[in-house]
Amino acid sequence: MTAEVLKYTLEQVEALELAPGSEHENLEGWVPTLAGDDNLRQALEKAFDYRGDVTLTLKSGERIEAYIFNRKTGPTLAESYVHYFTPSAPEKRKVSYAEIARLEFSGKDRAAGKHWEDWVKKYNERKAAGETNIALAPEALE
Amino acid sequence: MWTVSTYVLKKKLAGKKRYPLVLMLEPLFRCSLACAGCGKVQYPPHILKKQLTSEECFAAVDECGAPMVSIPGGEPLLHPQIVEIVNGLIARKKYIYLCTNALELKKRLPEFTPSKYLTFSVHLDGQREHHDFSVCREGGYDIAVEGIQEAVKRGFRVTTNATFFDGTDPNGVRAFFDEVMGMGVEGIVLSPGYSYDKAPDQNRFMGRARVRRLFRGILSNRKPTWKFNMSPLFLEFLMGNRNYECTPWGMPAYNIFGWQKPCYLLQEGYAESYKELLETTSWEEYGVASGNPKCANCMVSCGYETTAVIDGFGSVKGFLAMVRGNFSLYRDQHALKLLSEPAPHGPLVQIEEPARNLEEANV
Repeated sequence: MTAEVLKYTLEQVEALELAPGSEHENLEGWVPTLAGDDNLRQALEKAFDYRGDVTLTLKSGERIEAYIFNRKTGPTLAESYVHYFTPSAPEKRKVSYAEIARLEFSGKDRAAGKHWEDWVKKYNERKAAGETNIALAPEALE
Repeated sequence: MWTVSTYVLKKKLAGKKRYPLVLMLEPLFRCSLACAGCGKVQYPPHILKKQLTSEECFAAVDECGAPMVSIPGGEPLLHPQIVEIVNGLIARKKYIYLCTNALELKKRLPEFTPSKYLTFSVHLDGQREHHDFSVCREGGYDIAVEGIQEAVKRGFRVTTNATFFDGTDPNGVRAFFDEVMGMGVEGIVLSPGYSYDKAPDQNRFMGRARVRRLFRGILSNRKPTWKFNMSPLFLEFLMGNRNYECTPWGMPAYNIFGWQKPCYLLQEGYAESYKELLETTSWEEYGVASGNPKCANCMVSCGYETTAVIDGFGSVKGFLAMVRGNFSLYRDQHALKLLSEPAPHGPLVQIEEPARNLEEANV
């Protein structure tokens, strides 16, 4: 848990009627400024939370399209790593924070949209139009 | 029950502080449904195409050592080696709960062999109209029920599992219990929804007070025909009759990313081994007593049913309460009154904020 997150008392928790939920940050397309260690660490923390691919540009000039699924942080950037999958390689890979020069939230945010309200609206419209067998289909994987 | 009770007792006698009860083995995230608001399967296509190999599944099961393995997903029947995985786990004498939306169940049943170790846990969120709306697919209920009926006919063990969100009509749920028991299933599994960080919709998740009120309405004044495939003490917890703390290490989750920290619901990182998960997770930062807002509305079985099971098998008092719970119908006049209140809305889950009195269940 990060330091800025408020803690609840037990009494507050037990009395909750609705879960507070969480704000969804719109990060798609964002290129954070990586001026300093803290900026880099914060941006990679957001990349870990992001449900889309990012593009990492290393100090060597290599560009990696990656889905970052984990990070392990140490006292220095050289001892901190992001763990990722690429679209083309089957195995897990990792790269040190110290090697990263640029980060872009380049891929589609798969957690954005798809609200319950959108489904209800769509359902009612299609039903009113006389449609039957109304359904949402999973997105194509290609 | 014997396997679980001896397992818990052995761990207790060995002085083990943290041990797993159920491994949540997610062999893939791909799903054949596209439920609006789902917080589990939002990944880029190349991640959705990945899956654990049979060997990776067996290695995780062997390392973890839990006596029960739940196989959720995604949709496990989409995994090309799912039969091999299931057979390998049966050979290891693990009790398996294969969680499926059952869209493919009827077709795939001939590939499986009935076993006391294998249970198909079919996702059904309520009666036909409610379930279809919940999973965003008209006709989904009928297909799932066909799968259930065929599985029962072929001698498989079958349970249903349902998740309830804000606005659920308790009377509709009770009618649903009558329906599913009539299908010949062994028991019912149920859970309140949890507000995953990644769920696109955050407005349908109940806080603990509302969960207790809903489940008190649903689970009090039970019909003798209803059977639940859950700890009776956990059900009492949902009804507001018991206070439990979370046991996040009790149902560890393993998937293509590794061992998920700290639990099946939160994704705060991954460990490469179960041992690393146990040793490197700051367990004191989770559970309702920690004050962590991410745990504030959680009353989900993966955190609290382990606590209930350990309570039930870990002491004479707990065991007696569990036995009593198995036979009690939980008669409760106040809960009857809750049932006679006007439904928050019609048979379908709607999105309007219900304008009803927020009466606490345990008064």
